Amino acid sequence: MTAGGAELHGLAGAFVLDAVTPAERMEFEAHLRDCDQCRADVASLREAAARLGTAEAVRPRPELRAAALRAARQTSQLAPAAAGRPAAAGAGAGRRFRLSRMLLAAAAAVVIVAGAAIGMHYADLSGQSGRRSSAMVQAVLDAPDAVMRTASVGTGGIALVVTSHREHMGVFMARGLHPLPRDRRYEVWLMGPRGDRSAGLLTLRRHGMARPVLVGPVRQGDMVAVTVEPASGSLRPTSAPLVMIGQGNG
Amino acid sequence: MTDSELPQPARRGASWPDLGDLDALLLAVARGDEAAYEAAYDLVAGWVLGIVTKVLRDPAQSEEVMQEVMLDVWRRASAFDPERGSGTAWVMTLAHRRAVDRVRSERSHASREIRAARAVIEYDEVTEAVETSLDRERVRRCLGSLTALQRECVSLAYYGGYTYAEVAGLLGVPNGTVKTRMRDGLIRLRDCLGAQP
Repeated sequence: MTAGGAELHGLAGAFVLDAVTPAERMEFEAHLRDCDQCRADVASLREAAARLGTAEAVRPRPELRAAALRAARQTSQLAPAAAGRPAAAGAGAGRRFRLSRMLLAAAAAVVIVAGAAIGMHYADLSGQSGRRSSAMVQAVLDAPDAVMRTASVGTGGIALVVTSHREHMGVFMARGLHPLPRDRRYEVWLMGPRGDRSAGLLTLRRHGMARPVLVGPVRQGDMVAVTVEPASGSLRPTSAPLVMIGQGNG
Repeated sequence: MTDSELPQPARRGASWPDLGDLDALLLAVARGDEAAYEAAYDLVAGWVLGIVTKVLRDPAQSEEVMQEVMLDVWRRASAFDPERGSGTAWVMTLAHRRAVDRVRSERSHASREIRAARAVIEYDEVTEAVETSLDRERVRRCLGSLTALQRECVSLAYYGGYTYAEVAGLLGVPNGTVKTRMRDGLIRLRDCLGAQP
């Protein structure tokens, strides 16, 4: 074993406890592929660590069960190769990838189709001018650090969030959303360590497509979520989120 | 597989369900079996919520992360390989990683020391106020068999979500010492848990 290997081997405990940086985690995982003994060590230590966790078991609220089962039914499973890859840190349940030029164009097209109405909608909620809001949406979509994440909505449809750390803002879009009764509307939220803030009510168009909603300022640890609320909107979410999309660290 | 052939989930409230059940359930989940997922949910949701809550200390956020983990169990089931470890360890690894990722992304530098102090204090309180669960009792006893430094290193990392470098800073000991204590502590924990009925 090389000196580097010996040093890595000493990391087995910290690795099993997730007490390593992402870079160290990757390095150690690469090391594991070449070291049978390390794999055996890690496997046995992992069983012990798991017991630290299971000893803390609590009883979840019964409502969570139906939501989890529904989410699973509406989410496709990953092929073995993809499933083995760890989830992106903080990326929530959504997939996360850099915006390719094509996707950017597609996202921008959604905005163009929605037209000035986007701004008016946001203005209703924020008191800002529609033009400014629309410009902000465009600025987020055009930002060089724009990242797009998608996730399926628990009751049907796809939600899409584009965030730009540079702009501290995000744009929420969705399509295929299930129609709601007249007295209910979808509401978008920023949920984070400092509480939940409404980002506005969704206005549905044809094909369950929602007009883009500007969300922000987006802070570290914030997730974008959608709930069903009374048509007038709520100050705080009153139902379980149908989808949550994290922003990751990248 | 028909429903009647499915491995039966352990009774609700059982302290330690039959591990073979979960492994078989996860293999069925990997084939898209929704009934197996339902049974797996009943087995593991309480564990997942327990560890996530322990790390995040925020009930609402913990429920969200638990739901993410449960969806992960569904989506990534094909990555579970019983040759490489138990289903319990696989699920708990998913749960702990997500909890730790979340807590690290939001933990501000200013609050670090305060939270660490609380983690240490609450460790003692929690272990004093254990419920009657046999498994909890067993783990508590085995944690007690570790040296004080091993226990602090393991607890701060697993329950507090700290990296070994952060633990070293908090305890004022070298990084290398913390890494060694984490490994030795887990080995002692493993041997103790294995030896006890």
